[in-house]
Amino acid sequence: MSPDLVRDILIATVPLMVIFPTLFAFTTWLERKALARIQNRIGPNKVGVPLTRYGGRFSLFGLGQPLADGIKMLFKENIVPRDADRLFHLLAPILALIPAMLVLCFLPIEFPWTESLLPVQAFLLDGAVIFFFAITGLNTLAIFMAGWASRNKYSLLGGMRAIAQMVSYEIPLVLSAVVVVMMVGSLNAAEIANAQAGWNWFVFTPWGLAAFVIFFIASLAETNRSPFDLPEAESEIIAGYFTEYSGFKFALFFLGEYIAMFAISGLAVTLFLGGGAGPGIATLPWLSAMWFIAKIFALIAVMIWLRGTLPRLRVDQLMGFAWKFLLPLSILNILVAGFAHFIPQENIVSKVAVWVVSLGILYMAAKGLNQLNRPNVRPRDYKYAE
Amino acid sequence: MTLHHYLILAAVLFCVGLIGVFTRRNAIVVLFSVEIMLNAANLNFIAFWRYSENPALLHGPLFTLFAIAVAAAEVAVGLALVIAVYRHFKTVDLESMDTLREE
Amino acid sequence: MNEEIAFWMLSAIAVLGALVAVRKRNLIHGVFALMVFFAGLAGLFLLLLAEFIAAAQILVYIGAVGILLLFAIMLTERVAGDDGRRMTSRGWFWGLVAAVAVFVVLLLPPIQQFPSPEHARAIEPSVKELGEKLMHPYVVTLEVLALLLTAALIGAVTAAQGVRMPKEEDSPE
Repeated sequence: MSPDLVRDILIATVPLMVIFPTLFAFTTWLERKALARIQNRIGPNKVGVPLTRYGGRFSLFGLGQPLADGIKMLFKENIVPRDADRLFHLLAPILALIPAMLVLCFLPIEFPWTESLLPVQAFLLDGAVIFFFAITGLNTLAIFMAGWASRNKYSLLGGMRAIAQMVSYEIPLVLSAVVVVMMVGSLNAAEIANAQAGWNWFVFTPWGLAAFVIFFIASLAETNRSPFDLPEAESEIIAGYFTEYSGFKFALFFLGEYIAMFAISGLAVTLFLGGGAGPGIATLPWLSAMWFIAKIFALIAVMIWLRGTLPRLRVDQLMGFAWKFLLPLSILNILVAGFAHFIPQENIVSKVAVWVVSLGILYMAAKGLNQLNRPNVRPRDYKYAE
Repeated sequence: MTLHHYLILAAVLFCVGLIGVFTRRNAIVVLFSVEIMLNAANLNFIAFWRYSENPALLHGPLFTLFAIAVAAAEVAVGLALVIAVYRHFKTVDLESMDTLREE
Repeated sequence: MNEEIAFWMLSAIAVLGALVAVRKRNLIHGVFALMVFFAGLAGLFLLLLAEFIAAAQILVYIGAVGILLLFAIMLTERVAGDDGRRMTSRGWFWGLVAAVAVFVVLLLPPIQQFPSPEHARAIEPSVKELGEKLMHPYVVTLEVLALLLTAALIGAVTAAQGVRMPKEEDSPE
């Protein structure tokens, strides 16, 4: 390898491995704070920035909390169950982190320092989007590995739940992305982002809006976020697949989960929210990366908000929702996108007409599916209670 | 790298799959040995395409794509059969499924 | 030079993964070794500039087939792996001999006779072209494949479902 190539690859990848874990630390703080506010608490507010214990005036809203958490994690004892499969128990958290980190390369974030590089960035690959989906799928294996290797029935249950959930929700996820791929005519992430330059974001089209909603719901399930956090439902199966993990291995799982959240939100930004597009990037190109990360954070904020608001689904509701509701709707959305594409949209009237008709079709379909899937619940007769 | 490297690698992988088919009695292992052999064949398709006279025709990738899809269908049906057999015989040991054999 | 290093590393990964998958007694370990094999093969496809096939390989084999195998094992074998029951193999030595014989007698001679171009042509890999090919001359194949997959889906469900039990009376609980 020529030294130039090595240097460029390092410049392209190393910052990703620094920036996103840093953002992860910040996000854990943000999440704890936001959840606390939703539940009328204050949240972490003691640890100051240079780890001043009970920093008083210098606590800065508890921003030092993630650092303190990290140090705590590092010093905790690493406990492996006696009957566990030691090799897999060790490999699982690593395998959970690697795909999440790897797919970050497929996000078309144009950092200012990558401008002069050789074309080494993975998002310039011709099939970047499909690679993204392929590699995200590996996460499932890591979760299964963790659940199986722990030799704990709750871990295994969590692992099996995770597989069933992630496999099911991957289909609506991919199908809603297919719409965008179809309209742009490319699987190249950079090309998809460029196609939305200016304010032509796909979320501002009827099919794009529907696809974005489906994509976002499916991505919540794909990253095991509430309300789809059944694999780690603490009230049902302790902590699911990472019940038997402690210390640094647990931290790796935690990190992997959040990085996966960033990655999938990043893909949503690429596909629907215009990538790095935003005001001011013509004059200041470095703003593009800032916009990209700001949009990711907007999505993360919604995820946190939903976690604070929605109750957890039941297993049968979860599977039914994916297969009987999201899947038909996302297939219909592909048809709607085709329809919207072939109707000429020159004047405002035809534009409004396309909006009304497309959203009308989708709304009616959603209504109909809802009606079809309604469980026939009768009032329960209680034997032993009044 | 020449074409021969890839062809020999594919042949070696095929033979590894063959060892599995010859020596294992677990139906699932036999199934995934067959899968290894199929993948070795796919490697051959791609290698022949890459070193062919006219790679722009894309025959290799197309055929491999079809082969992958067929293999996926095969695995799904195969595993469903394994599960059905397990339900019947309470084992997936291929040698104990010999009810058709004359005693 | 780079290509050679990559080739040897990836082929070592693939062959070792396949060997472990085939010989490992613990089925779950075997399936994960199989994944390593699939990943190695996907790397080789990338090396041969078939990037869409590499992605499909990961997506279909590791993402779908692997999970399916895991499910099948969990449904049939003992959950904790099969170290209790001995269901090993018959003479693996003879299996090895047979496989080597097949390699030397059947596979090697045609390979040696085949002319081996030293260098591959430079190509511009394009997923778009592949898609257009699928739509233009191969659209019938694609449709037949879709039919096959649907048939396999239904067939797999009916086969795995087994004989349906007569529906029990609804008892209020």
